[in-house]
Amino acid sequence: MFDPRDNVSVTQDANRLLAKARQDGIETVWQRHEAQQPQCGFCDMGLSCRICVMGPCRVDPFGQGPQSGVCGADADIIVARNLCRMIAAGAASHSDHGRDLVEVLAGVADGSAVGYQIRDEAKLKRLAKEYGVATADKTALAIAADLADAMMEDYGMRRKAIRLVERAPKKRRAVWEKVGLIPRGIDRETSEMMHRTHMGVDNNWQSLLLQGLRNALSDGWGGSMIATEVSDILFGVPTPRPTAVNAGVLKADQVNIVVHGHNPVVSEMVSAACQSPELLDLARAKGAVGINLVGVCCTGNELLMRRGIAMAGNHLMTELILSTGAVEMMIVDYQCIMPSVGKVACGYHTKMVSTSDKAKFPHMEHVEFHPHNAREKAMTVVRAAVENFANRKGQPFIPVEPQAAVGGFSVETIIGALGGTPAPLIDAIKAGKIRGAVGIVGCNNPKIKHDYGHVTLTRRLIENDILVVDTGCVSVATAKAGFKVPEAAAMAGPGLKEICGALGIPPVLHMGSCVDNVRILVLVSALADALGVDICDLPVAGSAPEWYSEKAVTIGVYFVASGVTTHLGPMPPIAGSMNVVNLLTEGLKDVVGASFAVEPDPEKAAVFLRNTIEGKRKALGLDWRAVV
Amino acid sequence: MQHVIIGNGIAGVCAAEAIRKLDARARIVMIGDETFPPYSRPMISHVLAGDQPHDKLPIRSTRFYEELAVEPLLGRRVAAIAVDEGQVCLTDGTRVAYDRLLIASGADPRPLRAEGIELGRIFYMRTQAHARQQVAALEGARCALVLGGGLVGFKAAYGLLRRGLAVTLLISSGYPLSMQVDPTAGGMILDELVRHGLTVEVGVSVRAFEGNGTVQAAVTDAGTRLPCDLAIIGKGVLPARGFVPADRIAVDLGIMVDDHLQTSAADIYAAGDVAEAVDLARGCRWVNALWPEAAAQGRVAGFNMAGRPVVYPGSLSRNVMRIFDLDVLTVGIANPGRDEGCRIVTDGGPGLGYYRRLVLKDQRLVGAVLINRIEQGGVLRALIDNRTPLRLPPERLLAPNFNFGRLLF
Amino acid sequence: MKQVIVHPERCVGCMQCMLACATAHSRSGTLLAACQERPRPNPRIHVGAGRFNEGFPNRCRHCDPAPCQMACLAGAIYRRESTATVLVNPDRCINCASCAMACPYGVIRFHEDPLGPAGWAIAIKCDNCGARVAKGLIPACVETCKTGALTYEEMDDAMARKTRAVARSLSAPDRPAMPAGVVLLTSIKQAEMQLGER
Repeated sequence: MFDPRDNVSVTQDANRLLAKARQDGIETVWQRHEAQQPQCGFCDMGLSCRICVMGPCRVDPFGQGPQSGVCGADADIIVARNLCRMIAAGAASHSDHGRDLVEVLAGVADGSAVGYQIRDEAKLKRLAKEYGVATADKTALAIAADLADAMMEDYGMRRKAIRLVERAPKKRRAVWEKVGLIPRGIDRETSEMMHRTHMGVDNNWQSLLLQGLRNALSDGWGGSMIATEVSDILFGVPTPRPTAVNAGVLKADQVNIVVHGHNPVVSEMVSAACQSPELLDLARAKGAVGINLVGVCCTGNELLMRRGIAMAGNHLMTELILSTGAVEMMIVDYQCIMPSVGKVACGYHTKMVSTSDKAKFPHMEHVEFHPHNAREKAMTVVRAAVENFANRKGQPFIPVEPQAAVGGFSVETIIGALGGTPAPLIDAIKAGKIRGAVGIVGCNNPKIKHDYGHVTLTRRLIENDILVVDTGCVSVATAKAGFKVPEAAAMAGPGLKEICGALGIPPVLHMGSCVDNVRILVLVSALADALGVDICDLPVAGSAPEWYSEKAVTIGVYFVASGVTTHLGPMPPIAGSMNVVNLLTEGLKDVVGASFAVEPDPEKAAVFLRNTIEGKRKALGLDWRAVV
Repeated sequence: MQHVIIGNGIAGVCAAEAIRKLDARARIVMIGDETFPPYSRPMISHVLAGDQPHDKLPIRSTRFYEELAVEPLLGRRVAAIAVDEGQVCLTDGTRVAYDRLLIASGADPRPLRAEGIELGRIFYMRTQAHARQQVAALEGARCALVLGGGLVGFKAAYGLLRRGLAVTLLISSGYPLSMQVDPTAGGMILDELVRHGLTVEVGVSVRAFEGNGTVQAAVTDAGTRLPCDLAIIGKGVLPARGFVPADRIAVDLGIMVDDHLQTSAADIYAAGDVAEAVDLARGCRWVNALWPEAAAQGRVAGFNMAGRPVVYPGSLSRNVMRIFDLDVLTVGIANPGRDEGCRIVTDGGPGLGYYRRLVLKDQRLVGAVLINRIEQGGVLRALIDNRTPLRLPPERLLAPNFNFGRLLF
Repeated sequence: MKQVIVHPERCVGCMQCMLACATAHSRSGTLLAACQERPRPNPRIHVGAGRFNEGFPNRCRHCDPAPCQMACLAGAIYRRESTATVLVNPDRCINCASCAMACPYGVIRFHEDPLGPAGWAIAIKCDNCGARVAKGLIPACVETCKTGALTYEEMDDAMARKTRAVARSLSAPDRPAMPAGVVLLTSIKQAEMQLGER
């Protein structure tokens, strides 16, 4: 949160850029967070309801004022409804992202998506097989057309189950069948969630939450998974490549363009434009050495994973990097783009461009990208960025040197590094050299000192021989902290250090963007299948130490619903119903074999996660220890 | 019991009210040289600025003395105190006996030694009479000179600027209010005044005034002529203790008082601008010649005189003023010396629309300077006044939404 | 005599009291219309963030003696004994802010008041909703508070209730004084704040 000491982050570039931003009179997320205090306890506890106009209503947590809304919904129902709408929103976001990729796939097939292509035919065929699309004697484009069609079916109401649910271990699917959690259609589950939370529909808090789990699964094994897989098909399966992170990736002598948002359908086209000889010549003519494309947030991660393109920062850095005065243009599409960034840019020469018809912002020029014109529009905006180089005001303030990192760990890469099967990893786990693995995911939140949760938790886990895989804002935080260079092995415990050395991997594996969390699902499924167990039997866990978004709620819920016990730093708005709290933190163990835990302090969270893993080890008959 | 109070400023008035609250029957005599009803001295700068009419100055009714059963001896000055006899000797020869005496004679403007000081339209700024004369002198005045960048001079300059005169302010430090604010705040204040037309000269002293009946110019030590048709001298005040026998009543700059506002002589008290108590922030004796201090000291002195022992822990420098688009609030020590072991935290500054400076010593707040958003400055003032040990990080006091709630846990 | 009593541990920071207070001191008397009025009505109760970002309703304590009254340069602040209320005379106030400098709670603000002199900012503070009480209503902030953070009662009654609650919590420790959900939220907020200060 805002602190006049400017010490809002564990990273140097954030603190230095915040000091500069304040000097420049720029308002940032920290100041706005402070100005919101105190945040309303009714809402913080999930006890306020605005779903209908008989309200708005709130329930008094002290038991004296109203105990139910006008419709008669009590605290349990109100809290459950509110949480479920967060899940629906998160699922909708990820799924829409997937939808746009499927449209591009279809557009590639019919030739309308100019500039896009199939980059990985093998993956195309593998997916086609999973969808029951015939591949023999068909061109790639024809397969693509049919696959796109089949994926669109997943979005609707014709199916009994989303196709990729088949990827989950049999035991996991059996759990879902038993409880009624098999997601039937991507849009369908979100639509039903919105229906159920309308006044006077589902008024059983457990039933609501079960639909929430199913809705989340329609994202994790549906919309997000389609997004990641189709992105791999269109843009390539990530492989490890060197990259760099933090504000130091901006270059004083180049045209700096930052892509922000999520969908690689935009950032890949921008990346191509930045490499065009014509625009590079123009840049040189303007006195720049070149065009330096960098990313922030998930679209940045997509480019990092596939192309090694550098990342300037994560969620709470998006305003601050503009304070360098070095950014000619920021190009955004959708999700996690704070409406303030356009205003921040007004304080500098930075041009702001929005590209999605779904996402318009104050103080941004709107240049709408569609599959048929994206390549051309990308050239237009990059050209404008190059022209803007002449408008730099004085020397840029780039307060740090870039930090090297290695990203690109797709499941294919990891299995490849393991020699083609998960066996070496499983052996290491059995031997206790690696105690287990934790996926640390999610965003930043001004409620937690920036990156403190991510970096602290990661350090504690790898010190204790737990392999960490990460995505999203976390992956940027740990890369910035130096966990993704070969030397990082020195920070790991002896067992993990040995395995990393043997396999040539860092102790923290950078697995990509937030939709790429599904890569973790695929990985744990592979491990579970190799051991013949369910995901909930594996010595693995999840954590979102600094999350903020509705998407994060959905991810957390699909992890837990898939059998991965998940820790959360900030607490979701559920304290208003201890029934809901108890179900999510205890009761779900009996339903899906996993649950949530809330703990803002990453030191304590580390102990919890280590104990969770040791407990799984014990249940598997492996050596285990108690952690205090 | 006969109480005698020298002075009918706010200290004397509050003392009389406090005595009367506790004792309906004691005799109270008040000696004062101003015959005007008890009035708000700080408001005279608002009168000069044109914000308030002169007739709004009184803050007690014209029947104040009657209603409180106080015997007023107005238009009179004290010549001496005969401590052994228990009598106050007035300049006209009258002697007034007392059982308990309160010296609340206030302070007089520090006189300026300069040739031509007796010319017309040269004023000090202390009394309502000064204010009345200054307002009358505005007629036809175009160009004013103000000597002194302290509180009085500063407010005089501001008032004259508001009245549309061309004003030159002569200050000895680099910025006005150098006793109250630090250089950053001083710069912001100076910039605001200069933006509104003030001319400032630093380090210039006046040795003479020239004019034909009324002032037409001032002459500096360097020999420069500064034309002016009105001048206000605000070079501080001196406690009015000329009549106090220094061999019987301990004096320093002011009359020294203990924590019951009693002087070194039994049954003799002092309060207000003439008194020198301990400064809570500085931790040493200091004269804080301020309206709220005088009111508080008068009240406490009155209680003690009436027989109820009430402790007065000490005084604290503080000021609040609105200067064009700037609001300024200062409390305690703004500029500690380097070796005083103080920690300073700041926020805001020129161009950012606000400024905060907090001076801390040993976990306690001892000084604050606020520019803009001053409404909750009293919370900080109370922290300094009460010498409250801070249990939260001092930086939390700087946040824009700092409020009383942050202190409770 | 009944007075407004604050129970800060019940404040959830919803700020409804501020809306109700401003509305009660508007010309129109309804929230929606009050928002459109110029000059805007302003609340006299201020919900601040407490040490760990919990809510804290900060209102005038109507002190006796009142530091603001003693510090007032213009003699504009006075006490009405019949209602134990400290009030500002809008016709005498000179907007000098001496009262704000004196108030240890920081509850005074300076605005043009819709029901005061036109075109002038003056000191604005809680007036104990004298106009409402005279009509048989209770103060607006109390009426709107749903958690019991603001009550309108005799001080003795409130203190007796508190004494009973303390006694109960000491003699029956398994009956917690605060609901579990509130304790959970408070502990999380406290942890987050303390982590930030680490």
